[in-house]
Order: sequence, then C-alpha cells, then structure tokens
Amino acid sequence: MPVFKTPFNGYSVRFSPFYESRLAVATAQNFGILGNGRVHVIDLSPTSPIINELIAFDTADGVYDVAWSESHDSVLVAAIADGSIKVYDTALPPHSNPLRSLKEHAREVHGLDYNPTRRDSFLSASWDDSVKLWTLDRPASLRTFREHAYCVYSVAWNPKHADVFASASGDCTVRIWDVREPGSTMIIPGHENEILSCDWNKYDDCLIASASVDKSIKIWDVRNYRMPVSVLNGHGYAVRKIKFSPHRRNLIVSCSYDMTVCLWDFMVEDALVGRYDHHTEFAVGVDLSVLVDGLMASTGWDELVYVWQQGMDPKAA
Amino acid sequence: MEKAINRQQILLQHLNPSPPSSSEQNYNSALSASACLAGDSAAYQRTNVFGDDVVIVAAYRTALCKSKRGGFKDTYPDDLLAPVLRALIEKTNLNPSEVGDIVVGTVLAPGSQRVSECRMAAFYAGFPETVPIRTVNRQCSSGLQAVADVAAAIKAGFYDIGIGAGLESMTANPMAWEGSVNPRVKQMEQAQNCLLPMGITSENVAHRFGVTRQEQDQAAVESHRKAVAATASGKFKDEIIPVLTKIVDPKTGDEKPVTISVDDGIRPKTSVSDLAKLKPVFKKDGSTTAGNSSQVSDGAGAVLLMKRSVAMHKGLPVLGVFRTFTAVGVDPAINGGGPAVAIPAAVKAAGLELDDIDLFEINEAFASQFVYCHKKLGLDLLKINVNGGAMAIGHPLGATGARCVATLLHEMKRRGRDCRFGVISMCIGTGMGAAAVFERGDCTDEVCNARKVETNNLLSKDVR
Repeated sequence: MPVFKTPFNGYSVRFSPFYESRLAVATAQNFGILGNGRVHVIDLSPTSPIINELIAFDTADGVYDVAWSESHDSVLVAAIADGSIKVYDTALPPHSNPLRSLKEHAREVHGLDYNPTRRDSFLSASWDDSVKLWTLDRPASLRTFREHAYCVYSVAWNPKHADVFASASGDCTVRIWDVREPGSTMIIPGHENEILSCDWNKYDDCLIASASVDKSIKIWDVRNYRMPVSVLNGHGYAVRKIKFSPHRRNLIVSCSYDMTVCLWDFMVEDALVGRYDHHTEFAVGVDLSVLVDGLMASTGWDELVYVWQQGMDPKAA
Repeated sequence: MEKAINRQQILLQHLNPSPPSSSEQNYNSALSASACLAGDSAAYQRTNVFGDDVVIVAAYRTALCKSKRGGFKDTYPDDLLAPVLRALIEKTNLNPSEVGDIVVGTVLAPGSQRVSECRMAAFYAGFPETVPIRTVNRQCSSGLQAVADVAAAIKAGFYDIGIGAGLESMTANPMAWEGSVNPRVKQMEQAQNCLLPMGITSENVAHRFGVTRQEQDQAAVESHRKAVAATASGKFKDEIIPVLTKIVDPKTGDEKPVTISVDDGIRPKTSVSDLAKLKPVFKKDGSTTAGNSSQVSDGAGAVLLMKRSVAMHKGLPVLGVFRTFTAVGVDPAINGGGPAVAIPAAVKAAGLELDDIDLFEINEAFASQFVYCHKKLGLDLLKINVNGGAMAIGHPLGATGARCVATLLHEMKRRGRDCRFGVISMCIGTGMGAAAVFERGDCTDEVCNARKVETNNLLSKDVR
C-alpha cells in the first residue's frame, strides 16, 4: 500500500474531488506547536506503490487543515496556525503561490470545509471561537458566526442542503447553522467534553456525528437531538476526526489520539467493523475518497500518509 | 512563545481533560503531563528539510602503517585505495555507476602516474569505466581538500554523489625534490622558505612561540595513550577496512599473505622519559625528535558524499553534514601555525563560534605546531584528537584529511547528541593551513541552522 513520508508532522489529509489519485496533506513542524508548515499535493501511482509529490507549499506557521476547491480542480485552501487561510493553485508556478492570504481570524484556523453543493464558498473554523464564510473571489469573509464559547475545531457543510452547516467546538456543543439565518438554528450539547470533529451523513441529511475528547462518537438525528441515535465507543483516547462514507450509508471512519483509525457501522450492535493501527503516533487526519469506493487515507504525527483500500492492511507492501 | 504554550495546552486538554464538575471521574489517570526532562535549552529532535545539504553517508580508512617497515611496505598504492573505495560501495549498497566523480588527495607520487594508479584502483574496487577520477594536491591537506572539492561540486550541481578520498604510500614515494632548484629562490626569502624541510619549520615554531621539548614530548605521550585506548576499546573497528595484502621478508624474499586492520605505529608504552632520550633530528640543539613528530606512513581513506535529498531517497543514514572549508596562507617558515588561522576562519564561515565546536581533529604534524595551535586558540585539550593523532597513528600525507573525516565522524556519532560540530584542520607545507567544519548527521536544527540563510524568511514570528 502506498506510503508517503512528510518531513513535518501530519495534520490533515484530503482526497481531491476531481482526481482519484490526488491528495492534499497538511503538515506542521514540531507537532504544530512551533515552526513552519507545509502543504503537500501528492499523486498515487497507478502501477507502483509509490506516491509522488506533485508540488509542496511552505508556510510560515503550521498547516492544520486543507480543503480542495469544488469548483476548480487545481485550487486548494489551507488553514494556517497563524490565523490566516491561504489559497493555492497547483497549476501555477511556485512563485505565484499562494494566490491569496485571507487573514481575519484572531487565532489558529483549525478546520476548513468547501461547500460541495454550491461549490462557491467555504467555511473556516478557528480557535478564536468563530466560524467564517468565504468565497474565493472576495478578500474578506462574507459572514462571521460567533456563538461558540471556546475553540471551534471543525465545520462541515450538509451534503444536501446547500446553506446548512454544523460546527464542533471545545465548548462541548455542536451547533447547526443556516447561512440565511442570523444565528445558529440548533445547539446539540452532545458531550461532557470538548467536541473535536463533526460530519454529516451523506445519505441521510438529518444524521450528524460528533467526535469528542471523551473518546466516543455519537450519531444524532437533528429531528430529535436529545438522545443520540448511536454511541460508538472503542477508542482509547480522544477522537480527533470523523468522516461519514460517501459510498456506504452506515459507515463512518474515525482517527484518534490512540493512534488507530477505526471503521464503524453505527446501525449494527457491535459497531466496530475495522481497526487499523498502522500509525506510531497520534492519528490526526483521515479521509475517504468520493471517487473510489473504499479508498481511504490517514495521516498522523508520525509523519506518514497512508492510502489504502478498506479491508486491506495499510502497511502491506 | 505564548502561542506555542497555548497550543500545547490545548493539545494537552484533549489527552488529559480536566473532569467536568458533573460527571464521574472515569478517566485514565495514567496519563499526566511532565516537564521536559531535557530541560529548557535542549535541542529536541527535529527533522530537517534542507535537501540540498551535502552529507557524508560513509567514511572509511585503511589502517595506517609505518613506511618501509610496517604492514603496507610491500603494498602497491592502488591496492591501498581500492579496498576503501570498495567498502563505500559495499557498505551502503550504492550502485557505483551513480557516483559522479572520485577525487583523491595524494601528494608525493608523480602526478600523472598517480592519477592512473587511482583509476586502476577504482576499477579494482568495482567502479565502471563511466565513473571519472582525478587527484588533488595541496600537500598535507589534500585528503581534506578532496572532500571539500567533492562537496563544492555537489553544491555547484555538477553531480549528486561523489567520493573524496586520500592516498599516500610514503614507502613507494618518499619525500624528495626532482631536478634542480630555480636559483631565483635566493632572491625571495618566502620562496626560499618553501624549500625548508618540515622539521626545520617545526623548530622555527617551537623557537618562536616557546614550545618546550617537555611540552612536545608530553603531547606525543598523550597522542599514543589516546590511540592505544581507542584501539584497545575497538573504536577504530567502525572505520578501518581490513586490507588483504602481502609482506615480503626482506632477507629471504618469501611472500606471506596478511590482513592489515590495526594501525601499527602506535606505541603502547611511550613515556616522557623514553622520549627524552631521543636526539633532535633537524637542528643540533632543537626540540623536534622522531618521537614528537608525526610518523611517516602508508594509508588511504575515502568518504562518500551526496546531497541530503539523495541520501533520504536512498534510505541511507547520514553520518555527518559538510558545512565549510577554508584554506589560508601563512608564513612558509612557520607553516605549523596554519590551523591557528584556518580554524577560526572555517568556524566563522559556518556562522559559529569556537566554543560551539565539540570535537577537533588537528593534525599532529609535529608536537611543536600542535601545541602552539591549541594554545593560541585556547582550545580545550579534552576536545582535540580524542583518539590519538598523527604522532601515534601516522601521517600519510595525502590520506590524512580523509582519514580524519572517518575518525571524526565516527567519534561524533559515538558521542551522541552532545557532540554537534566537529572541525578537522592541518598545517600545510610551504605555508598554508586548512580547516573544515562538519556537523552531526541527525541533529541539524532547521530553526537554527548553522549557516544563516538570508533569503529564508519563512520562520514563524515566535521563533524569531
């Protein structure tokens, strides 16, 4: 299975929505605490298990997240720990990059998500407790959503309703917003501890999952959010990122500080269907490919990016 | 630093959350944050990304043997070079055809003949005809100059992988002057001084800078003592390549196959009183004797250099990083002072201070110049020639520089993280000095790289 070694510690990995074999990796020096960062754009080779780097962009501070544009196949945005968001175009030479630097957040930008339906806008989640809405053609944010009481770690657009998104925060809540509304439309006090990630189900637009420091992942139905639909326990430490499968209705993947990547079927009693312990440091980034069924990628602080087919051993040669 | 501390705290809260007031305490209390054991000023592990650094991936040498009487007295020079070149290939599994050039420092042999011999040695070592080879001669620094030339060529982009080597058989080529001397030298003292025997320049240094016989003999004893200890503890086993050769009995003419893997110039029981008995060789009431001079030896050394990116791509461990090289000129009559000028120049070029250097290999051409240099620079003796020097091990002129690279880098590797920078230096006959700065393979710190790069402004504000 292909492996890519990054010089810095991995923070996030995302498949390109346009090219099956292309990924972007966000990395930060010294575990993202101090130093520079780098965004790698890598290509899987069809024949051999070698991953080639297409291009890399250096940044002055760590890169915590990266998201591909849904409108242009060579554009990606990177969330930088110094509070800025950089827009890159892989089709342009290195000296023309970054295209733009969007600096409005007062603290680290931790999460990004590009709107998959409208394709023209993206959200940024920051440790300054706010979420901002941006489009690529404007230098300033369109809107700022400020309600959370602590760091916002993650933000996710609803795959069906183009104006709805959710945010996960260290104030232990998941908030659901509609960009047409002034404030949040729903507050899910889902956990007793910080919530590090949230994601919408790709087949049921009312299901949302939250991953928390309390080591659990909870699946909620927004129509009845008092009780979770399902609670997924099994990680040994805080769960860092979750993603619902674009191909299977009930499948969700998670990665955790316990260095494992887990696959769950939340409709089944014994939900854990797969566990991959290939990382030797915190597994902090995971993604499922939209274009290739079952293709998944993960990255961690051990400076490695693994890409593998679900069911296979990520470390197999 | 505020930001860094805040980020750290946020991460810590993910792992060891303070329990919320309402719920029961059911967290894994086996996890707790603790202060960094290395202390505030520790340079903790950072990976480095300067792919265009020139790194040394392997460095080996033959044992050094006394000329005319020692283990290599019946060995052809190319048979000295071939084994170390071969070792570089075998131990790194490198494809020899990928080597861009081989540069061999070598001093006393006739130029063209020696280049041909080196070419033959490369063939014996398994290099294909497509790999070129050349020699370089800056007298005693030739081995180091060869390594520096290869590093410079790699930086210039001529090739990505190169070998810097050194070779000298003072049995085959004793010090000599062919042909007549241009009478013009009499008109210029400096030119005439280029003809001074090295021993006389040693006496000049001893006399002018007041290095006593006692001090010189003591330095020689120390050199032997350290070399004996190093050999006994097996330290040289990492760097010495055994050479299978022959010894011819001078009386009977019988040939005996031998494997030479130990320096045979080292004298275990050297003492100051023994050395005091030796008569000065170069000047009647002088202080330079056979005991406190470097030995006349045969030997070879080779160093494999490449770009760091290439080493990483091949998965080769990095033994050391080549940082700077400086050659300086000094008065030919006291050429022993070369290192005293070259070392500060090379250290400064690396963006460092003398105090930053953790280990030195200063060639002990003569105890007089060695003592003068370390006193002039105020260096800590405990950092210099820790495994002995040329007085005990030997000084095959062209090989010394390359041999010192092997000895220095292997010792730095043994010493671990404490030992970050090393310097090799030697004086050079006819009035020069050379020095080079090396860094340990795995502890370069790109937040604080040894050489300030003006164009690199990507460092985050916290670091500046």
